[in-house]
Amino acid sequence: MRRLLTALLCLSPLALPAHDGMPMAMPKGPELGASAAFDAHGRLWLVDAADGHVRLRHSDDLGKTLSAPVEVNAVAEPIYAEGENRPKIAFGPHGELYVSWSQPRAKPWTGFVRFARSLDGGEHFSTPLTVHHDRAEITHRFDALAVDGKGRIVIAWIDKRDMEAAHAGGKPYLGAAVYYSASTDAGASFLPERKLLDQSCECCRIALAPTPQGDVAAFFRSIYGDNIRDHAYAVLHADGQPSQPARATFSQWRIAGCPHHGPGLAIGADGTRHAVWYEAKGQPTIWYGQLDPGHPPRHALAIAHAGAAHADVAVLGKTVWVAWNQVDAQGYALMLRESADGGRRFGDARQIARSEAAAGSPQLLLLRQRAFVAWNTAGGFRLVPVEAAP
Amino acid sequence: MKRLLIALALLLPAAASALQAGDDTLRPLEAAQVGALLQPPAQGERLVALWALDCAYCEANLQALAKLQQAHPQQIELVTVATDDIGQAAAIAQRLHAAGMDGYPARAYADPTPERINYLLDPDWGGETPRVLVIRADGSRQGYSGALNSRILRKLLP
Repeated sequence: MRRLLTALLCLSPLALPAHDGMPMAMPKGPELGASAAFDAHGRLWLVDAADGHVRLRHSDDLGKTLSAPVEVNAVAEPIYAEGENRPKIAFGPHGELYVSWSQPRAKPWTGFVRFARSLDGGEHFSTPLTVHHDRAEITHRFDALAVDGKGRIVIAWIDKRDMEAAHAGGKPYLGAAVYYSASTDAGASFLPERKLLDQSCECCRIALAPTPQGDVAAFFRSIYGDNIRDHAYAVLHADGQPSQPARATFSQWRIAGCPHHGPGLAIGADGTRHAVWYEAKGQPTIWYGQLDPGHPPRHALAIAHAGAAHADVAVLGKTVWVAWNQVDAQGYALMLRESADGGRRFGDARQIARSEAAAGSPQLLLLRQRAFVAWNTAGGFRLVPVEAAP
Repeated sequence: MKRLLIALALLLPAAASALQAGDDTLRPLEAAQVGALLQPPAQGERLVALWALDCAYCEANLQALAKLQQAHPQQIELVTVATDDIGQAAAIAQRLHAAGMDGYPARAYADPTPERINYLLDPDWGGETPRVLVIRADGSRQGYSGALNSRILRKLLP
């Protein structure tokens, strides 16, 4: 009955959002979805969205000043840039800049994954292309972007084609699916997409991280049994080898709903899979653990509780950092915990920045031997060193 | 000027249907108003049904709560709160109307820091939707996340 109702709502013209027939979606609160990354020369790049354009800016002084923006997509289009959706940026081995984003379509919960590249250091971008070959007006969104050790681009996203097909045939289907594609020609085109797994969560970001073997690994919220929303881990081979997703968290949080909380992943040079994820089976909790796919994570530690959200993780040698947003009645704190022994023990939580204005999801970045947190707040973009004291 | 006129003409049907859809009953929820919303009712209980446009589970959940309220009209007060910004009033009102929720007081977040409103409403809530807060006349409170099954719906009864 619920499914029938959802289907009817999707079909109803009343359910169409206001941007149908108009080029721009109305903003839903502050649009703080942004991604930052250091290139091989230490230049910081930042992508976010404004007025229907993905905006690219860079900084040569660790985020203190940002360059004038370059519009990645010359023709304005709707862009998801809030909550678990944000434009992404990655680099090719020869200085290529790759940008991806999700574009809302007319119906609720629909989208296309978009991609553009620059071969001249970010001055000009190719006309955006749609990554997936499937063009049904359904969910293909929550894109994640990475480049593997051979320079191949990997993009993964949440896709509802199998849910739509099942429901059309009157069959049950919980959640969505994760699909992925690769480009072996530096982003000129993408191979036909492949399904990684059925029954993923519908609305949580996918974490991607490089493995020491040069592949790209994915960690994302999935659905097990009756709406138990634990996470899966898989290596995404860009060369067509099949991927073997395995359950990697066992929190047993059952929710027929949208957590809006995707995980984080960083893999050490020794292959240790450092991960952070959120669940609220008892109290809201951000967990750290080392993934052992098929088994519960090792060294699991409750990092933070009520008010904590959107954690990220980074590793450099034996040092592991976890950063997250901590909300209270006064506003937002950017929090950090650090381990000096490869994630076995963590120091106490430290506040490294505060914001009274809204803040997007923090992102841990490494530059040479230092770690920073990219924090996009309504008051402006900030690059916060992990050793900062507010 | 012509473009402006065309834009206005395009907007008119949307505005009209939003009004038919009960847009006039959708009120903002600001940080300073959260305390009043959480005040215990004089009798029975208040259900604060939190939902979001980007949540495929939420509308069916609102309808389940409406059914519960209709079965206990004297004891249950039902208020819907969209966690989307009030700037999306037309889309919110249209969804509520399509879900048959016109008769219930409806609010939408009106604060530049939505996660702070989440925290003020319920510090033990991580923002997952749907979420229902049960506020009883005796001052006790409970929160439930996810679409509610019949077992939990029974727990919500006053």
